[in-house]
Order: sequence, then C-alpha cells, then structure tokens
Amino acid sequence: MKFLLNTGRTIRQGSYVERKNSVAYQEEATSLCMNPVDMMNLEVEEGSQVRVESDQESVIMKVHPALWITQGEVFVCLGPYANHLVKPETHGSGMPDFKGTMVTITPTSEPLVTVADLMERCGGVRYED
Amino acid sequence: MKIDDVVCPFCGCLCDDLVVEVEGTRVVSVENGCTLANEKFMGDHRLKTPIHREGKGWKETTYDEAIRETAEILCDADRPLLYGWSGTHGEAQSIGIHLAEILGALVDNTSTVCHGPSILAIQEVGHPGCTLGQVKNRADVVIYWGTNPIDAHPRHMSRYTTFADGFFLKEAFRDRKLIVVDVRKSESANIADEFVRIQPGGDYAVLSALRAIVQGKRGIIPPSVAGVSREQLFRVADLLLSAKFGAIFFGLGLTMSRGKSKNIRNAIELTEELNRHTKFIISPMRGHWNVYGSNEVFTWITGYPYAVDFARGIAFYNPGETTSVDVLSRKECDACLVVASDPGAHFPKACAEHLARIPTVQIDPHVNATTHLSRIQIPVAVTGIDAEGTAYRMDGVPIRTRMLFRGTYPSDTAVLEQLYAIVKEIKGP
Repeated sequence: MKFLLNTGRTIRQGSYVERKNSVAYQEEATSLCMNPVDMMNLEVEEGSQVRVESDQESVIMKVHPALWITQGEVFVCLGPYANHLVKPETHGSGMPDFKGTMVTITPTSEPLVTVADLMERCGGVRYED
Repeated sequence: MKIDDVVCPFCGCLCDDLVVEVEGTRVVSVENGCTLANEKFMGDHRLKTPIHREGKGWKETTYDEAIRETAEILCDADRPLLYGWSGTHGEAQSIGIHLAEILGALVDNTSTVCHGPSILAIQEVGHPGCTLGQVKNRADVVIYWGTNPIDAHPRHMSRYTTFADGFFLKEAFRDRKLIVVDVRKSESANIADEFVRIQPGGDYAVLSALRAIVQGKRGIIPPSVAGVSREQLFRVADLLLSAKFGAIFFGLGLTMSRGKSKNIRNAIELTEELNRHTKFIISPMRGHWNVYGSNEVFTWITGYPYAVDFARGIAFYNPGETTSVDVLSRKECDACLVVASDPGAHFPKACAEHLARIPTVQIDPHVNATTHLSRIQIPVAVTGIDAEGTAYRMDGVPIRTRMLFRGTYPSDTAVLEQLYAIVKEIKGP
C-alpha cells in the first residue's frame, strides 16, 4: 500500500538523541505510526515488521497504531531510518522534502537493523563504544 | 553542590531556571527541567578519547595527533565543508568561520535542514517578532502552526504561553486562546481550543484563505480549503481578529513541506495583515539550543546567516547551491569537518554516503550516526555542563551558559583554536 511519510520530533527521540547506538533509540527511530484502519487493510498488528520503500531506499520498521494520524499517512520520528527514504533533491531551496515522501509499505519478517548497520551500508565503518 | 539558574543546552527555549546538583564531575539531580533536560544533564554516554580509523577498525589516539591529522585533511582538500555549529557556543562558532575563511571552505549550520526557509522568507519580507517575555505577559491568542511544542520544546507552553501566567494574563490557561494547526493531531493539538487539521502540503492555501478573510473578502472563500472547512476558517480568523496581542509560532511543518520558504512568507504576510487590526507577532520555534546563535555569529562575521562559501576568497551565499545537502549530494566537497551536529542521522542517504566517501572529521562529545562515517572523532566538553559560552534563545536573546564543573575534556573553543593555529601555520601568512 502507498502512504505519505511525515517525519518529526518525538520526546522519546529527543531523550535518546545522544545515545544513537542504543536499542532504545533504534526502537523509537524505527517506530512507524499508522492509522488502525490502514493497519487492518495491510493485515498487520501492533509491533509487526514492515518494509518501507521509497524511490531512494527501503528500511525495515515496526508498526504502531495511532489514531492521531489520518488514513494514507504514516509518521516516523526524524532520524537515520526515515531520512534514508528521503530524496536529497532540495528544489533549489537547500531543504529536502522531509515531510512529503511517498512510500510503499509491505509486511515482512525481516529484522530491524542498527544505526551502525545503516551507516555501514552508506560506506562507513562501525564504531562500537 | 546545588547550582541555581542553570541554563539548559538542549532546545531553543534555553530555559535558565534549572537547579542542578553536582558531585565532583557528575550531575546527580536536575530540578525544573523537562525530560529532554534531564536526559541531557544526567546522560553519561560520552566518547572517552579521540579515535581515528585504521583500515576497517578504530584506534584511540591523542588530542594533539587527532587535531594535527584534521588540519592536514582540511588543508589538503580543494573544497572542504565545515558543517554543524548549532550545538556549540558562539565563541567556537566564531573560530569555525575564521577557519573557513583561511581554508576557502564552505561553512554551513543546521538551519540548512531546519529554519533555513524561514530565514529566506524573513530576508524577503522581514520579521515582526518580539521576545518571549512579551508573549508571556501580553499574548491572549497563541497559534502553534506545524509545530508540536509538547514533544519538541516541552517547556515552551509552561514558561511562555498556555500555562504561564503573565502581567496582563493572570489566569493564562483560561484567558489565552490556543490554536494548533497541523496535519496530525499531535499532543499539543489535544489541549488546543481550536485544532485545524490541514491536508499535507496545504499550508500555503490555508494561510492565503486566512489573509483573504482578514482583508474582509469572506465571499471568495470556497467551502473547503486544503481540508479545512470555510466555517472553521471564519472561526479561526475571528479568534485572530479578537486578539489584543497575538503570537504565531511555527515549526518545521511549514519549512519542510511543499512551499517551504513561501509558506513562511505567507505566514509573515498574514501577520502583517493582522497588524492592520491588532498587534500580532510571528516567530520560528528554533530546534538546537544555539542554532539562532549560529545564524547571529555567521551574520555578524560574514554578512550571511548560513550556507556561506569562501571559495572565491570572499563570502558568497546562495542557498540551494551552497547549502550542505546540495553540496554533498552533488559530491562536490572533498573533506568535511562536522562540529556539534549529526548529519549522518539527519541528512538524506546520498549525503551520508558522500560523508563516508570523503575524509570526514567529527568534533562532538558523543558517539552518533556520523561517527561511523568519520575518519576521526574528537570528543569535547558539553557546553552548559563542563564548558561555558554564549548562546542565543529562539527569540534572539543572548544567554550565557554556565560551566557546572571542570572536567577532563577540552571545550570546542580549545580544540578549534588549536586546529586554527595549525591550519594557519600550514597555510602561511
């Protein structure tokens, strides 16, 4: 199913922002909030893993029900997981479309990856503290 | 030892009423702080020593070696980028800009992916703003547009708006009207007197409709504008016009969605229209605690608030061309110094890939996503905890952050001064 991805600050994301390699940060940054009706149509339950794919990349996230979001939209806190899906195009403004990326979401059983895994995919070398 | 009036170095509110208890070089308790402040002061997750990459692994190194190696990387580069700056104090930002000048580098701060579009709009039509103290004491109508202060600026409402009694508002919660405009029903929307839910990308249209209503052109408003009914638009406009003093606070819901700087321009022009009837102000909700300071310091030294390019030997500014995301995605820069921010986590993937491709050095107290993309990381003291310096609150008020204890880490200023001296020596007179 196709959705419009919105990103933004959450207080949990802010709380763990200086511990980006922690499990707590990973859990928050991979939490995908979705309207329960969309969850029913997608046949996923709370905590189910989904593949979120844009024209840039795909990442695995966990679904959480959210009545505060309208059908057809999903919300993920700002961070490396959501930003992997965003195009670098800024339309001459300097600012990418962080709040307007179309994504395709499908259920999956693939595991979540860590922030270090994501950065290794970009060509980095993991540092374990 | 308990220390009063501590300034919180997390968000743009720069709350200055915290009471922090310190034992030796450890914070043991925080009073008056929000969740974010508590995590900031109580967190103990710092990188212990400078590290540098060797092949597919990491090795510890000394400060002198790490700084010398960084200087050589920057001097060897044809088009270095110096990015970040919003999570450090003004004195360090100032050295960073002088460093960019002698390197002929690009220097940019986190406004580039935050309120950069707001700055572009302000450069077009001005900024009718005021200090947060004025808002606290006078504002009887407050709008949060595309921002969720309960999560992003947790004490904004309790210090300056909804829950803060002021000189002319003795019972703020009852006397102030709160309007929240957003595409989702956020925590802040739950306590609003009026929640306006806009279809994504519809902000510009709704702002235009409100401007038309304020101008007295109610007859031209269609039954629905970007998902907002005409009746609700009239109700909101009436609330705005009934204000004795209104305050509009806007966030990344406007700067990052379709229209970007033009959304902000329209919001400022709505404020201008409202000022023909009553008193209204508008202000951005700045994210990093000293992102406003980075704009101030950049501007007073170079004339421009962000995205400054010294490649021509003079300061050149052209957002869309000299902004970090564009420069990185064009694979244009060949070295990067990241100070007090985390582009690995907050830039699109293509930018992170380029940071991994080129020699990237990070100066930051914590291990973050950019660490994995870097060749060197130099840990520093945290300003407001074991370093001090000047910061600017989101309304432009400079506040001096305090050092709570003397730790073992050097400050950003100390590291950057040493780096500047070596670069200057290599570059010659």
